[in-house]
Amino acid sequence: MPEAGRETLEADAIVREALPNALFRVELQGGSRASLLAHVAGDSSLLRLRPGDAVVVEIAPYDAGRGRVVRRR
Amino acid sequence: MSIQKSWSELQTMARACKIVVDTLDLLEAAAQPGVTTKELDTVAREAIVKAGAKPAFLGYRGYPATLCISVNEEIVHGIPGPKKLREGDIVGLDLGCVVDGFYGDAARTVAVGRASAEAERLMKVTREALLAGIDMCRPSKRIGDIGHAVQTHAESFGYSVVRDFVGHGIGTSLHEEPQVPNYGPAGRRERLVPGMCLAIEPMVNVGRPEVEVLADGWTAVTRDGSLSAHFELSVAVTEQGPWILSDPYPYAREAANA
Repeated sequence: MPEAGRETLEADAIVREALPNALFRVELQGGSRASLLAHVAGDSSLLRLRPGDAVVVEIAPYDAGRGRVVRRR
Repeated sequence: MSIQKSWSELQTMARACKIVVDTLDLLEAAAQPGVTTKELDTVAREAIVKAGAKPAFLGYRGYPATLCISVNEEIVHGIPGPKKLREGDIVGLDLGCVVDGFYGDAARTVAVGRASAEAERLMKVTREALLAGIDMCRPSKRIGDIGHAVQTHAESFGYSVVRDFVGHGIGTSLHEEPQVPNYGPAGRRERLVPGMCLAIEPMVNVGRPEVEVLADGWTAVTRDGSLSAHFELSVAVTEQGPWILSDPYPYAREAANA
């Protein structure tokens, strides 16, 4: 029986800092509280994220230090 | 990550896999015009219980049956029901069982009566793609080599491989690390080590690779309605090469301490 093949994990995060070039430092919610660098995906409304905003980030299994903000929550 | 199995654990896996494949033989013979998919599910459940094993899929994430049965444009995860098989259908039979806590998982696509030449070719190529993937199950290879071999073979016939579902590690649960995609570049992803067990399962479509999941939450169909085939075997990586766990150990025994 095949497994649903998701290449990425989604996680809830809070924006901590807006960086140049549409990069953000975000902090994961839940256990780890790890902070990671995230760029934004597609939607230009995500460019106006501010510290404190709640978002969902997508993380590739091979690089847990970087992510991609996919939407607000 | 405890993904490497001992020799005695591999023996148990082999028992589970043999029961699955023997049951698939029964189901293949029973897949005749007029038989309902529900009837095949009953055959599968009774055969597995009689062999002293437990169905692996029944109750897995809420799955309601022993067998996944996927007809024609259905790719995988079709739920058995009142649907009657018709002459010329191609039917994916996917089955798993548990023996002493270890899982076996295998699938094949069979024709009901006589199928079209196109359907026969699709099934042949998908099976060959599985064997090409299995041939990569050696130490020094990587997970990406498996997917690359499968994809290259299937696409050389103009078919596409499904991306939304992947093969998987198998052992004391049905789905373990690592995922085993049927596509992608060679030489990437996890390194293969002796004692690793993988369920390799190409899903190949005549048309495009996109998938749609029906309202039952399980049945996956090709979005373009084209025919799809699915073959799967559980394989152990050993020092000497791949061991298809439903077959007897294929190498000289003294070196078998993986």
